[in-house]
Amino acid sequence: MIKLSTLFWLVLVSTTGFAMFAVKYQVQSLEEDLNRTKKATIEEEHAIRTDEAEWAYLTRPETLDEMNRRYLSLAPIATKQLRTTLTDIPLRAPTPAPVDVATADTPTESGPPATLASPIMPASPITPASSITAASLQKQTGVGERAQPAPATATPKPIVSRRPRSLDELIAQVAASR
Amino acid sequence: MIATQRLSFDDDNPCRPRHFKPPPCAAIVPDGPAKQAVETCRTRLLVTGALFVLLFSVVALRLAEIVLLESGSGEAQLGRLRTATAPVPSHADIVDRNGNVLATTLDSPSLYANPKQIIDAAGATRKLVQVFPNLSSAEVYAKLSSAKSFVWIRRHLTPTEQYSVNQLGIPGLEFEHEERRVYPDGDLTSHVVGYTGIDNAGFAGVERALDSLLKEGREPLQLSLDLRLQYILHEELQRVIDDFTAKGGAGLIMDVNTGEILAMASLPDFDPNHPAAPDLDHPAISLADRMFDRITLGVYELGSIFKIFTVAMALDGGTSTLTSTYDATHPIRIGRFTISDYHGKHRVLSVPEILMYSSNIGAAKIAVAAGAEKQRDFLARLGLLKPPKIEISEVGTPHYPAKWREVNVMTIAFGHGISVTPLSFATAAAALVNGGVLRQATLLKLPPGSTPQGQQVISPKTSEQMRKLMRLVVEHGTGTMAAAPGYVVGGKTGTADKVSGRHYAERKLLSSFVAVFPINDPKYLILTMVDEPHPNKQSHGYATAGWTVAPATSRIIQRIAPLLGVQPVDEAAPEVQRALMVESLQGKRIEAY
Repeated sequence: MIKLSTLFWLVLVSTTGFAMFAVKYQVQSLEEDLNRTKKATIEEEHAIRTDEAEWAYLTRPETLDEMNRRYLSLAPIATKQLRTTLTDIPLRAPTPAPVDVATADTPTESGPPATLASPIMPASPITPASSITAASLQKQTGVGERAQPAPATATPKPIVSRRPRSLDELIAQVAASR
Repeated sequence: MIATQRLSFDDDNPCRPRHFKPPPCAAIVPDGPAKQAVETCRTRLLVTGALFVLLFSVVALRLAEIVLLESGSGEAQLGRLRTATAPVPSHADIVDRNGNVLATTLDSPSLYANPKQIIDAAGATRKLVQVFPNLSSAEVYAKLSSAKSFVWIRRHLTPTEQYSVNQLGIPGLEFEHEERRVYPDGDLTSHVVGYTGIDNAGFAGVERALDSLLKEGREPLQLSLDLRLQYILHEELQRVIDDFTAKGGAGLIMDVNTGEILAMASLPDFDPNHPAAPDLDHPAISLADRMFDRITLGVYELGSIFKIFTVAMALDGGTSTLTSTYDATHPIRIGRFTISDYHGKHRVLSVPEILMYSSNIGAAKIAVAAGAEKQRDFLARLGLLKPPKIEISEVGTPHYPAKWREVNVMTIAFGHGISVTPLSFATAAAALVNGGVLRQATLLKLPPGSTPQGQQVISPKTSEQMRKLMRLVVEHGTGTMAAAPGYVVGGKTGTADKVSGRHYAERKLLSSFVAVFPINDPKYLILTMVDEPHPNKQSHGYATAGWTVAPATSRIIQRIAPLLGVQPVDEAAPEVQRALMVESLQGKRIEAY
């Protein structure tokens, strides 16, 4: 009995001792690792600081100006280039209503925007003459190939009738018409 | 264990049955000294036991704390480890409003040697001289072969040099960690940022004024400067100086609604990296001249640009209106002075005309009508009678007459007899156009959208009138060359005769121009001045503000407006015209200046 308990304690002590030293050495090596990493980090930080200073030096306006003069010859934006804003750009001309096309009988009037937005000719009452020119226009613009099956499927969507009020709306309409 | 207890010798009777146990007898209580010994023993045991129990319970508790409660996170434990900590730079960086580095603290190692550890002094010298061609090999050899144990080889190495020295692999060469303040932009921001001396202590500019802040702070200090605008201002000022062979020049760009200074330059200037180094391009210019900040420290009689204050005072005080007229036919003689006009119209002029044609006689009469007390109070209210407040320690104290006599009233009306810093002038001028609120000029970036508290110095109505009058100067008056189509510039020219000794020097001018754009919705103020410009061929013999700094202002505005996001407008548009219309001049033919 005595021997058994002694043995138990001995085993326990040696296990704990071993475990303790194992953990201690592990911690020590981790600590060393940490120190190494920290030192490396500090070095990197120093390097970053130096690089930032160097970047500031290399990108100072004087250098950029000289570089521009030598390689790019960019000029400051002239006032006249800034006069017009995005809102000043006219939106695409409104598509004339089908009836207008028929009555006016001037097929050339409907430019590419019109053809883009009106792949629904069969559904609309257009005179044969204007429909032919519209079709030829479609071929020229390259939209015709994709638009040709459209008459066959005949899905009359009245998207053309409204004039887009904003650029976003216009893009949405163009997207919907494809 | 009890079995071993020996009760008495009688118990050793071999005939005693095994199951028989003698009845427990009373504890033997020793008597005399034995009793004492046992008692002591027991007490000691008890104390030792208690101590052990205490210690073990402490250990057990601590264990329980660590294992079960995890006593804080691992982070808390990290602090107790002996690990390397990052050496924080002694001073924080200074950056411009867009984050461009203006001043930074760099690790700059210095190379020293321990000659006792140097094995081959001659070989080491040869290698070192290859890395540092500036070092003399004789000197280095003498150092390396000396009997000392510490000699400096070179201070403040660049990273490349340090790398090269490390590559040499010479034992006995060591680096000492030192810091150095570096200004990547060199002379571009010299007067604003300033420079530092040994131990990186600030000697001038923001470095000096905010030294303690820079020492405490770890985050970069963000200035209100915009490096791009600073460059444009600097370049255009240099161009004016070169074109008109002037002695110097200065300028600033200010946000009229917040007081933030976006650019500020004074030429000639210095390289803060080597403040004392001579300027190789201009060896004739003294160091003191280059170090002198003409914007904050210099005080000048600014001349006619001061007339905006005279007119604003008269309009705000009600002593004149836009329709008031003053006779500028003849020069005013007062005492030994004669006040005359540079380009006199020799007729009766209205207030807008006085400003437009920059009539000294007219301005003097406006001021006299208001009186000395009003004038003095007004200038004091605008902060022109005390040194400017800004994040720079070097500020100039204004000069003005102690006794404000009538002759002083007259000369001060057109900017003579009072010297102020250009910074004070710009701060006050901004108040005239921004709706009448005086805000302290600042070099620190304000949070976007915030407007610092100001002091209402003139009424919004007077401010509006001033805007219209300043527009008139650029549209029809002396400042037509400052016009930048699309940006609705308003301004005022000023050409002052410089004081030399006790007299005014006829040929020595100080030409200045104050511009505000867009004047219908004032955003930015530009003040430019050039010291002693000389006429050139292009300027037809003129060195006045209208021919020197006004065109420079126009160029500056055209270059900076796109960067500042100012949308050009059609100046002929009815709404712009209506906003800047001076009613009293409507329908009248405006003479060209």
